[in-house]
Amino acid sequence: MTTTSTPTTTAVALRGVSRGYGRGATAVRAVDDVDVEFRRGTWTAVMGPSGSGKSTLLHLAAGLERADSGRVLLGDTDITAASDNELTALRRTRIGFVFQSFNLIGSLSAEQNVALPLRLARRRPGRAQVRQALDDVGLGDRARHRPRELSGGQQQRVAIARAMVTAPEVLFADEPTGALDSTAARTVLDLLRAMADRGQSIVMVTHDPAAAARADGVLFLRDGRLVDHLAGASAREVADRLVALER
Amino acid sequence: MLRMSISGLAERWQLFVGATLSVCLGVALVQSSLLLLISAATLDPPAGLSPAERLRFSDSAEASVALLGVTLGFSAFLAVFIISSTFAFTVAQRRRDLALLRLVGGGRRHVRRLLMGEALLLGLIGTVTGVPAGLAVMALQTRLLVGFGFVPGGFTGQWRDWILGASAGVGLGLALAGVLVAARRAARVRPLDALRDPDAGRVMTAGRWLTGLFFAAGAVALIILAPVGGPAGGQALTMNVSLCAAVALSLLAPVLVPGVARLIPAAGVTGMLARANLRDEVRRSAATAAPLIVLIGVVFGQVGASASFAAAGVAEQRRGTAADLVVETTGPGFPAVAGVASFSSETETPLRITTGRGDTADTLIQSALVVEPAAFARAHPGSGYLQALRGNAVAGGPGREGFSRGDTVTAHFAGTDHSLPVVAEVPTTIGGGAALLVPAGLLPADQLAGAPTRTFVTLAPGADPARVTAELSTVGTVTGVDDWLRADAEARTSTSDDIMLIVLGLGGLYALIGVVNAVVIAAAARGREFAAARATGLTRLQVLRAALLESSAVTMIGVFLGALAAAGTYVAVLATTSAVTGTATLDLPWTLMAVLAVVAFVVTGLTSLLTSWSATRVAPVSLLGAWE
Repeated sequence: MTTTSTPTTTAVALRGVSRGYGRGATAVRAVDDVDVEFRRGTWTAVMGPSGSGKSTLLHLAAGLERADSGRVLLGDTDITAASDNELTALRRTRIGFVFQSFNLIGSLSAEQNVALPLRLARRRPGRAQVRQALDDVGLGDRARHRPRELSGGQQQRVAIARAMVTAPEVLFADEPTGALDSTAARTVLDLLRAMADRGQSIVMVTHDPAAAARADGVLFLRDGRLVDHLAGASAREVADRLVALER
Repeated sequence: MLRMSISGLAERWQLFVGATLSVCLGVALVQSSLLLLISAATLDPPAGLSPAERLRFSDSAEASVALLGVTLGFSAFLAVFIISSTFAFTVAQRRRDLALLRLVGGGRRHVRRLLMGEALLLGLIGTVTGVPAGLAVMALQTRLLVGFGFVPGGFTGQWRDWILGASAGVGLGLALAGVLVAARRAARVRPLDALRDPDAGRVMTAGRWLTGLFFAAGAVALIILAPVGGPAGGQALTMNVSLCAAVALSLLAPVLVPGVARLIPAAGVTGMLARANLRDEVRRSAATAAPLIVLIGVVFGQVGASASFAAAGVAEQRRGTAADLVVETTGPGFPAVAGVASFSSETETPLRITTGRGDTADTLIQSALVVEPAAFARAHPGSGYLQALRGNAVAGGPGREGFSRGDTVTAHFAGTDHSLPVVAEVPTTIGGGAALLVPAGLLPADQLAGAPTRTFVTLAPGADPARVTAELSTVGTVTGVDDWLRADAEARTSTSDDIMLIVLGLGGLYALIGVVNAVVIAAAARGREFAAARATGLTRLQVLRAALLESSAVTMIGVFLGALAAAGTYVAVLATTSAVTGTATLDLPWTLMAVLAVVAFVVTGLTSLLTSWSATRVAPVSLLGAWE
């Protein structure tokens, strides 16, 4: 990893990033020469039709996949060519993830799931720190429950607490409300909104206009390219824009 | 980390019970065989025996040591194979868990440490339970050994304190070794795999190809070497062919599974589902079949080879015997009886013989046959020219090893060493026999007193067999040569059966439990998959039927590949018997083999029905709703 002199107002930046799958006739450019900057302290939603490359974009920005070309910067750290160990360390300290399928470890209690990143980073997880993270998502009283004893919305909130316990620079969320009913989804979005208002950088992929409308800005992707951008739009405006894209 | 290990253990208990059981039984089997081997090797002859009796006692003790050595070898082979493959399978089944650990910031080191920690814990539990289980196994093995007369009546396995260390080495060592390779591989899992379908990993790695082909080459080499290895060496090499081939085929199984899957009739939705599952989950199918390949390969190979060699020995004995009556007496000497044209009296005695010299010198108790050369050659056609056998000149017997005509062997008798030039030799035989033919008068009379003597009698033309038999009955037991050959054949077969039961009985049972383990471990992670099938509209019965069909197909693959491994041994058997006796012989115990194959199908079928029944007990919706 090399440190560049890029101004640090950017949480994550992609510079001319491409990523393809397959070979020959079946080759697909999932992300095609994308330049984008996610500003620090803002919540950005990424939208687009199915197959537009939004999940790949998120995975690239988070260092879960490698770009074929271009550069990926986390703050002022170039992670394009980071080793597996360096990326692992990043996941422990500077990046948090939330996914549609909550991906909690079924054998561990909520509390143990939340403490896991800290233990992996060899930091002694303070009981108070873990409790605080659970309290922040409103689940202080569910600490000893196993994931299967929790509702979907509660499981997703545990996942958010797990992602936030290390106070990451950026929280990546891939369809965080995709598997939730509308009430649970609203609770999760309220949580994310409150975090963004406190200065948390969030990059979220979603296909739900209502969810995207809660973000500060919305990026639109089609066929692996950035095609549009909206700021402070309503769910209605976002939905209209998305429909226009799919035409 | 340890807490995570322990809670992980509680969650996936089927996997871990299976792994622990494989360690426990492996430790028990190896420990028991090792203790019995040591006990037999240090067995002291009872006081008050004559020198000849002491020699006979040591001879039979050496035979039981050899038998127990083979038993230990098999136990160790099975323990290594079953423990390491079970542990590797449990790791492969948890790919998604491990990817998840990586996703939340776990390094490769963490994954390795977690898996090694678990292996250590399970190895420890397996060892702690395996040591007492080993004592029970030892009691059982001792009963078999005594019951079949391979060891004297009062024989007991002796406890040795160091065995605790050896058993811990076996249990912990094999568990860790099994996980070591799998853990390195598992640590390379990509965090993204947690978000996708688990088990996206490539099954056939370069290492797996290489190891598989290495063992396959070993099997081929053994097949080539067996016919030139002589009777004893050839038989030993032959027995090892199926071991090598079974390991090779179980490693290469993932390549072969899809081909076999195509043989399943795709009729109906269950057939289609079973077929698709087999092909899609090559790793699971191959891992389930692996212990079965070894069980079938080893058992089919060993019992087939053993029965064939016994049959070849019987045929050889028949060809090499020209007489009308066989008289069994003790000690040398045979009366002159009217109506007897010729007779060959052969007295058998153990002898301490040193062959080779210097560094290659080897001293063993072997059996010597006191013969009258001309009569011996008449009673045993094909023996060749033995007239030079007189004074201290001896001949190489049918069961000799490590020397031939022109060499000099040293024999110890009458209190001192004697150099005996080997001036002649008879053809070696697959059934073995005496190592040395010695002329009458060489060995002291007191050594031969009480030694078993067999006299092959040829009647004079026109003599009345009944009268001669009656007259000879006053000196010993008289049998018509056909009856005698038949009884000899039965005795050989029964001994070879007994040996197989001791060597393979408990090991086979262990391997069968390994098979059950693999089926249970394979089904443990399939709750969601079954639930998805049911949510799609399959009834519970259809899911069970698909699971049963799939397990039958895996069993078929295992039995087929195991039989293929055994076929390697059969090729070597044909080549060896042809080289040694001139007639290629293969005699397979079909009933036993069929019974084993049926048992395999019943056991895997029942296990898979039970596990999938219990996995589908809860309503599918509750499983689909919650991500594990």
